[in-house]
Amino acid sequence: MRWLTLAAVLILVGSLAVTGGAQQKLKAGFIYVGPIGDYGWTHAHDQGRKIAEKMVSGLETLYVESVPEAQAEPFIDKLIQQGARVIFTTSFGFMDGTLAAAKRYPNQIFAHASGFKRAPNMATYMADFYQVYYLNGLMAGALTKSNKVGYVGAFPIPEVKRHIGAFALGVRAVNPRATVHVRWIFEWFKPSAAKEATEALIAEGVDVFAFTEDSPTVVQVAAKRGLPSFSHYSPMQKFAPNHVVSGQLVHWEKIYVDFLSKVVAGKYTTENLQNVDYWWLLAEGAVEVGGDFGVPVSPAWKSKLQAVQVTTLDLGRLSVHDLVMKRLAQMTDPKVTFDPFTGPIRDRKGKLVVPAGKRMTVGELNTMEWAAPGIVGPWPKEP
Amino acid sequence: MITEWILDTLIRALAVGTPLLWAALGEIYAERSGVINLGVEGMMILGAFFAFAVAHTSGNPALGLLVAGVVGGASALLHAFLSVTLRANQYVSGLALAMFGLGLAGVLGRGWEGIPLLNTLPEISGLTYLGVVLAVVLWFVLYHTRLGLVIRSTGEAPAAADALGVNVARVRYLAVVFGGILAGIAGGFFSVAYRPSWTEGMTGGTGWIAIAIVIFAGWDPLRAVWGALLFGALYYLSFRLQTWIAPEALRMLPFAFTIVALAATSRRRRGEGAPEALGLPYASGEK
Repeated sequence: MRWLTLAAVLILVGSLAVTGGAQQKLKAGFIYVGPIGDYGWTHAHDQGRKIAEKMVSGLETLYVESVPEAQAEPFIDKLIQQGARVIFTTSFGFMDGTLAAAKRYPNQIFAHASGFKRAPNMATYMADFYQVYYLNGLMAGALTKSNKVGYVGAFPIPEVKRHIGAFALGVRAVNPRATVHVRWIFEWFKPSAAKEATEALIAEGVDVFAFTEDSPTVVQVAAKRGLPSFSHYSPMQKFAPNHVVSGQLVHWEKIYVDFLSKVVAGKYTTENLQNVDYWWLLAEGAVEVGGDFGVPVSPAWKSKLQAVQVTTLDLGRLSVHDLVMKRLAQMTDPKVTFDPFTGPIRDRKGKLVVPAGKRMTVGELNTMEWAAPGIVGPWPKEP
Repeated sequence: MITEWILDTLIRALAVGTPLLWAALGEIYAERSGVINLGVEGMMILGAFFAFAVAHTSGNPALGLLVAGVVGGASALLHAFLSVTLRANQYVSGLALAMFGLGLAGVLGRGWEGIPLLNTLPEISGLTYLGVVLAVVLWFVLYHTRLGLVIRSTGEAPAAADALGVNVARVRYLAVVFGGILAGIAGGFFSVAYRPSWTEGMTGGTGWIAIAIVIFAGWDPLRAVWGALLFGALYYLSFRLQTWIAPEALRMLPFAFTIVALAATSRRRRGEGAPEALGLPYASGEK
């Protein structure tokens, strides 16, 4: 009898081990720089993680939040000890830590968001907003009455400068007399700073707002004064349904699903990632224009944008609303028949920065320091 | 033009200063009784979360503030128990409370981010004026009543107060819990008035600035009013002045003020310094 029991147990354990082996899961670990409750950058990555978990069969995910930028490595160690085979690090400051870990763990796959260093087992990825900011700028230029548009910026780094630049190019494309007034808060997430910066801009006569900060603060402050704004990163239209005109939305899951599916399929290995760089924009569906998903222009503002007419070189005379939709279609087209950073572009000092007919490369966009014409205010490291 | 500048700055000083003032006033009473509570940030964020959750569920932001006060008081009770009854290191216990509060509010707040609040309180509301009135009342109580004398004596010379029949532990408990109630309400101000919504870490270090203001104010409730308003004004101006002054330099302005203020108050007159027994546990019958 005892033997029988033992045999039964052995068979049971054995079969479990076999089924366990048959359904071997892919574990992916995520290192977040902020709390997943920030309703901004980290929140958006976490939404992407959850969707990827549903869409990639056999995928299991782990995550660590609020990791200080200098301390990526110990947390990567921890995730790998827990069985993670793919590690995503989601902040620029994790770049060197991720690269060091990629060297120490040649059998694991790494992907780093928003950076530029790669290795055979380390890719880079980014869903960038500059095209979306250009579309928002077109709308802002049409809506300002004081000809002063405001921008609350997080840090004066190339990424944010690129976004403000694209936004300002959009504003000027429909309203050459408008200026874009910039205030820096030196934080990614600091509602009180975003709030007082917005108040300072309002005091100076700004009447339309865009921003880079991970909370709906700017939207809320502007709405209280009855002023329109563009939401950032998360669907913030609900915080001010009558005042959010449009905004920028991200779909990190597009990148996560694509990347992890290719890992599962064996297309991505620990040896062939040296040149894998996702720079995904409107055409890839990684970003979207709107204050809420599926709403590129708030119905509350549509008629106001239809009432403003502009003349363009390539599309003739049309309303700003139609211009936004045309440009959106051109940039969503896989052939990308329009890009805001197409020369000739001069910076605000008058220097030619993009020659006629040329489009800025990803490398140039990633290191962009110049200020576009119309930008008013401090611009640290301006060439 | 100039009047507009002054008016704008004054309004922003009041808005930014309100939570600082409430939190600082509470901390002044706790410290006057001899207990330093570094957990202000933790109590504030708990207040912010509960105020939002209650205001959102009930539709009544004032009720949210009330609950925020209760939650702040309850979390301060924890600090009082550790530092008064168990005589633990007050600095360690306070820091633990700050981290505990931030962590707990973060966990409880999951899923509450991204929800707009329909009924909110105006930014410059009764809370602002009440804060100033409260400062006057607390100043009067502290310097001109027997209760104030009792509180100050437990902070300056607990053994002497004990000898005179003062229940040191009870006074300290009450002062710490009172401080927690005010910190909770200060936190609630963020989520139902200043920026009506919930986001993890939304108090953004205000609790630490409040503690600095307590020191700058020389533990005096009336001077805390000026400290809070001055910080609020400088904070606003640090963005307003960016057109003319480098933003990197302006960033330091409100904080540099704090350091200068600390240095200035180190040359203070007798009786204006920190309470003698601040941070020291007291046990009856011990020297």
